[in-house]
Amino acid sequence: MAVGHGHLPEPVAALIRARAAVPNPHLDVESYDPEGDLLVLNLGPQHPSTHGVLRVKLYLDGEVCIKAVPYLGYLHRGVEKLCEKLTYVQITPIVDKNDYVAAFSNELAINMGFETLLGVEPPPRAQHIRALGAEMQRVASHLLWIGTFGLDMGGALGGGATLFMHTFRERESILDCFEVLTGSRFHYNTLQVGGCRHDIPAGWETLVRQTFATISARIEEYESFVRTNAIFLARTRGVGVVDAELALSLGVSGPVLRASGVDYDLRRDRPYGLYRELKVNVATASAGDCQARFEVRLAEMRESIRLVNLLLDGVPEGPINVLKAVKLPGTVKPKPGIGYAAIESPRGELGTWVVADGSDKPYRCKIRGPSLHALSLLPYLAPGQNLSDIIVTLGSLDPIMGEVDR
Amino acid sequence: MSIDLSHFDLVAENDIVVVPVDKLVDVATYLRGQGFEYFVYCCAAHYPASESEPDRALVEYRLRRLPAEDVALRLWIPSSDACPSLAGLWQAADWQEREQFDLVGVRFAGHPDLRRIMLPEDWPGHPLRRDYAIDTRHFPWR
Repeated sequence: MAVGHGHLPEPVAALIRARAAVPNPHLDVESYDPEGDLLVLNLGPQHPSTHGVLRVKLYLDGEVCIKAVPYLGYLHRGVEKLCEKLTYVQITPIVDKNDYVAAFSNELAINMGFETLLGVEPPPRAQHIRALGAEMQRVASHLLWIGTFGLDMGGALGGGATLFMHTFRERESILDCFEVLTGSRFHYNTLQVGGCRHDIPAGWETLVRQTFATISARIEEYESFVRTNAIFLARTRGVGVVDAELALSLGVSGPVLRASGVDYDLRRDRPYGLYRELKVNVATASAGDCQARFEVRLAEMRESIRLVNLLLDGVPEGPINVLKAVKLPGTVKPKPGIGYAAIESPRGELGTWVVADGSDKPYRCKIRGPSLHALSLLPYLAPGQNLSDIIVTLGSLDPIMGEVDR
Repeated sequence: MSIDLSHFDLVAENDIVVVPVDKLVDVATYLRGQGFEYFVYCCAAHYPASESEPDRALVEYRLRRLPAEDVALRLWIPSSDACPSLAGLWQAADWQEREQFDLVGVRFAGHPDLRRIMLPEDWPGHPLRRDYAIDTRHFPWR
């Protein structure tokens, strides 16, 4: 059965598919078959399925896409220029707003970049808090993704917003844990160069354990939503297949890459912080389609919950910052040099490239966001796809526009 | 562990190789053939003219052979010149080089589609250059 061409007579659908068979992001639409009835459609920038403000110019023949051109920059806030104008310690709250559904990962990546230049290593207790926060954030971020992916598919999951409401209930309870730890629900401003700002309060461990025990049980529930749902399977299976070689060449990382059969995770393969001592089981799938990406994210949530419980068992006592403990963060001045540090954020390799010139501000600070690379798959995936499948494919890549545009 | 580039007369120090501009494409093609198929980033930083050096930009490409072998190719590009594009070797270089062109103003020779990516098409200047006046107000209704 030809997926997504049900309304067209099969010979016509086959003809259009053949025309769009070779995905070429630089296709010259002027030279496109003059018989083909081209329709130019702007998807976005204000559309719920574009996960923020993304505009994609779609060239459609019938309902089949011939070429897709993403236009970025609607959320460009000049974060990298701001980093040049602020001191090292002032940057953390700014980068929180990059990947706004996984703020903890942003803070971790940028502070690790600065620590590489300074040559300092946080003390064990701070490492534990960092790893705990990062894994909790991964679960929260994937919960949000599952919910919005359900929204992208409209009525496929019991009236659209059902799955969304379920996952947001659980995400809210994780945000409550973060609120107890840091005082904020979204933008924590909790990590500093050399450690953390907030120590674990009394009773927090019990709260986290209870929260994740509940979520652990609820994940079974989400699976039962989709495993037997014929519409979900028809709309995700075989849709948006990502070729592993193309994904590597495009710098795609994280769950999208692992769903294409590449067994690669920075937590295991380039370990940083506490992950040097921690054994992380990496989930992979081989199909490379939207369903495989769903499976990988689901398995990652389970693994993160296991890691959270494991980490809670062994939080050591001690200081939480290697630099002198201050309420008002002090100034740091790394020696001139260039450093790169990367972490595995919920979306993949989140890196920081910092050039220091010996002053208290970075000379240049580039944030290598995984969302930009995942989104750059779209011009290769969209040609030959039905319009409604493009929405599902875009959703399954999980791009956060705050991180794409910065 | 660092990659052997001695037949290009280049030495890798940790994972960093300083590459002359005219050798970049050859070195990159060689690395692509050696299994460096994962493109990590392309970054640029602007350095204004000083007494000893002209106005120039530092460009760095980082490539990776899975699981964890990195090479960072570092180049100095005078502002009068263009950097050779690697978009033909790694598809990721397409958008990454567009971003560095847009923000830092480095031109990439041989890029298939060198347009601005983050800022509007008619934006004046390149904001991440050190001589960019951030005090100047730019109105959205130009």
